[in-house]
Amino acid sequence: MIQGLRNGDENAFRFLVDTYQDRIFNTSLGIVQNAEDAEDVAQEVFVQVYKSINSFKGESKLSTWMYRIATTRSLDVLRSRKSKKRSGLIQRLFGDGNEPIYEIPDFNHPGVTLDRKENAAKLFKAIAQLPENQKIAFTLHKLEDLSYQEVSETMQTSIAAVESLMHRAKLNLRKILEKEQG
Amino acid sequence: MENNRNNRIDEVLSSLDNVQRATAPDFFYTRLKARMEKELVAEPRKSWALRPVYILGVLLVVLAVNAAIIFKGSSSETSTSETETMQSIASEYRINSNLTYEINE
Repeated sequence: MIQGLRNGDENAFRFLVDTYQDRIFNTSLGIVQNAEDAEDVAQEVFVQVYKSINSFKGESKLSTWMYRIATTRSLDVLRSRKSKKRSGLIQRLFGDGNEPIYEIPDFNHPGVTLDRKENAAKLFKAIAQLPENQKIAFTLHKLEDLSYQEVSETMQTSIAAVESLMHRAKLNLRKILEKEQG
Repeated sequence: MENNRNNRIDEVLSSLDNVQRATAPDFFYTRLKARMEKELVAEPRKSWALRPVYILGVLLVVLAVNAAIIFKGSSSETSTSETETMQSIASEYRINSNLTYEINE
C-alpha cells in the first residue's frame, strides 16, 4: 500500500482512507470533542499523509505515524480554540457585549451506550481539563483501545512513561470529578 | 455517604469501558477528495518567484543597481564640474588648454 501511495495510486489512497478513517476520526473526536472539528482534523491527517508519504521512512508503523499526526493536529485545534476563547473574553471585557462566546457544550460520544451517556459526558468534561500528554495517553488507551506499547510508540516515549501518564491522568480525573460533585 | 460518592465517581470513570469506536461521517472520502483537489491544485500555482528568498534577492539586486547608478552619477558629476572650473580658470588666465587635459589626466 505504501508503495502504491508513493506512486500516487488512487486505489491505494482510497484503501488507506477506508482502513483508517474511523480510527483517526475517533481519536481526534476524543480529543477535540466536536464532530465537525474531528472531521476536519481527520481530513488534514490524510492530506498530510498523501503529501509526505515519500518522507515516511517506515521506522514506525503507518498507523502509529497517522495517530501521531492526528493527536498533534487535534492539540493544535484545542490551542487555537483556547486562544479564540481568550480573545473573546478580552473582547467582551472591552466590547459592547455582543461578541460570540466560544464555549463547547457537553460532548456525547456516539459509541457510548445510552445508560452511560450522562456519566460519559461528565468524564469527557473532566478529560478536557487534563494536561495535554495525559489527555493523549488516556484517549488513545481508553477510547481507541491501543495498548501501552502502541501508545508509547505514538507518543515517542517509553512504556513506563505511558504507565505514569495514565496513573496521573486517573488521579487527576478523580480529583476533578470530586470537585465537580462538591 | 463517602462510599456513595466514591461509587458514583468510579461509575463515571468506567463509563468509557468497552466504548464503541465512532465512525467517520458519511461521504468522508468524497469531502476529503474535494478538499485535496482544491488544495493540491491550488498549490502548484504558487510560483517559485513568489518565495520570500527570491523576492528579497531581487530587491537586493535592484537596490545594488540603484546604489551603483547613484554612486557613479555623483562621481562623474563631480569630475564634470571640476573640469568646467579648471577650464574657466584656464581661460581667465589664458593658459594653454592642454593644461586642463594634463590636470584631468
